Amino acid sequence: MSKSLMIVDDSATMRKIIMKTVRMSGLEFDRTEEAGNGAEALEKLKTSAVDIVLCDINMPEMNGVEFVKQARQMDCSKNTKIIMVSTESGQDLIDNLMSSGANGYITKPFTPERFQEKLTPFMN
Amino acid sequence: MLEQMTMEQTILDAAREVFETMIFMDIEPAGSEPQDTSSEGAALMGSITFRGGLEGCLTICLSEACARSIAANMLGMDSGDQLSLSEVGDAVGEVANMTMGSIKHRIQNTYTDLQVSIPTVVSGRQLFPMPGEDFTRGQVCTTLDEIFPVTFSMYYKQSQS
Repeated sequence: MSKSLMIVDDSATMRKIIMKTVRMSGLEFDRTEEAGNGAEALEKLKTSAVDIVLCDINMPEMNGVEFVKQARQMDCSKNTKIIMVSTESGQDLIDNLMSSGANGYITKPFTPERFQEKLTPFMN
Repeated sequence: MLEQMTMEQTILDAAREVFETMIFMDIEPAGSEPQDTSSEGAALMGSITFRGGLEGCLTICLSEACARSIAANMLGMDSGDQLSLSEVGDAVGEVANMTMGSIKHRIQNTYTDLQVSIPTVVSGRQLFPMPGEDFTRGQVCTTLDEIFPVTFSMYYKQSQS
């Protein structure tokens, strides 16, 4: 079944690294998108919804926490699976993100196995 | 507050986690003083600040050649020669970001409220951090793949508030 993915991170290099690691995990996507912050990601989702979003937390303009909250209020992304990818690892923050609508959490540094574990449940 | 030696071991453990997991380069301690890399040309310094119960900054100083090698490994490329300085700097910023994240995770039982900034990277020659007074310095000098010297410095103090 065809799946689409969006990577949201303010670092263009980190977006490439995440894409490389997703490929190494063996997961395949028919379409991939990128955005440099939460606001840009919301705009792209309005015109081109995706199945899964991998989203950083600390970003300028709109951070990952605000992105999750706003994405959950939009019809086009209310069913999108949002996995946070960040160096932040505080349990309070993770609890807050999950209660706001995030579907999972991956800490940096990460491995292909970690992506496979977290994304596979959403691939079918 | 964390002892200087404890902090230096924490920095080394965090750097090892980052380099072994995502960069696939061997990182080993290399003495107590940074090697002079001024003859190797341009250098980069990535830094990230933090505040909360502890405040200060973490910096990573390395040569441009080393930074290109790191960026190439992170991106799965054979060589970093074709990468722009912006891309290379971006990779150094991510190393600082991930190392600080790992340090934060390791000390979160003592400092539960650390907030970390977005990393910044500068390039130039003979770069070194200049903190204000009263900061304790934890410094870890390392070599990557037995070739490149890399220095991690953390300046920190207990917050007043």
